[in-house]
Amino acid sequence: MAKRLLALCRQAPYGNALAREGLEAVLAAAAMDQAADLLFLGDGVFQLLDDQRAEAIEQKNLRRNLQALPIFGVETVHICERSLLERGIDAGQLQIPGAGLKLIADTSRFIAGYDSVLSF
Amino acid sequence: MTLHIVSKSPYSSSALTDCIGSFAEGDALLLIEDGVYALSGPASEKITISPVYCLEADTDARGLSIPENIQAIDDARWVSLCTEHNPIVSWFK
Amino acid sequence: MKFSLVIYGAPHASQSAASALRFARALLQQGHEIHRVFFYCDGVHNGSALSAPPQDETDLVAGWQSLQEQHRLDLVVCIAAAQRRGVLSESEALRLEKPAGNLAEGFELSGLGQLADAAARSDRLITFGA
Repeated sequence: MAKRLLALCRQAPYGNALAREGLEAVLAAAAMDQAADLLFLGDGVFQLLDDQRAEAIEQKNLRRNLQALPIFGVETVHICERSLLERGIDAGQLQIPGAGLKLIADTSRFIAGYDSVLSF
Repeated sequence: MTLHIVSKSPYSSSALTDCIGSFAEGDALLLIEDGVYALSGPASEKITISPVYCLEADTDARGLSIPENIQAIDDARWVSLCTEHNPIVSWFK
Repeated sequence: MKFSLVIYGAPHASQSAASALRFARALLQQGHEIHRVFFYCDGVHNGSALSAPPQDETDLVAGWQSLQEQHRLDLVVCIAAAQRRGVLSESEALRLEKPAGNLAEGFELSGLGQLADAAARSDRLITFGA
């Protein structure tokens, strides 16, 4: 049976490389037909904010990596509901074209459903 | 059941808080590296979950004493904790 | 049991790689198998042959190499992360027109797919974050 892989994304974009390298790992896995699910938690939810203009700091826009997810078969992205609340983010502000966003209230139960977890 | 590993100090990182927010009954928490500073000062009162383990090498290195409700373990026991739990989730930064 | 380790920390910069090396030794001592050690993010510096710590400090690169020699470990350095940070094999250096390669013996450069593959083929996956 295929193992279920979760990528736990806890970093805001741009301030350090982990947000980008995490998404790159997920895309690479998906390209090899080993799709990982994603859970954005903590500052990781900031990756989902729309209207990022990364060129202002001479970086590539991380939104492009997110938008590539559905192309590689990652159709649902999971978001920790509590993390949004803590940061005053309305789930309605978030969207990834082609992907469904699913709010997770009980992250412990959600994580327990996976065979391996990569933390980013 | 999940083994959570926290490696950053609760005084500088949200790693422990985020971990506790995702901790279910039957899970275990292991504090390693700077994560062991959770055993010191007011942060230790935030640890209302159990069981909690800490790497003795890391507490020794930092001159910390280990509260009674925390189990100090060596590297061999760390390995067996990993075999007894799945998945293993690391919380850092 | 079959383990894979993922390491994000550069040697001598955070404790991540040192903890991972100790954990790897403990695993092997207990008869477990290490399917792969995957060096990612700043962890790619573990594969630099140019690391030269003072003599009274633990040489982590040498530590990985000796473990690799004894147990035929699969030490994989992520090629994309390594190119960004300046860890190159001789052939990569040539291809990218850089003055020299510096990938340490015992390590190999490979793609990110090896990380997903490690997750799929191991009983346990453990991340050593930095």
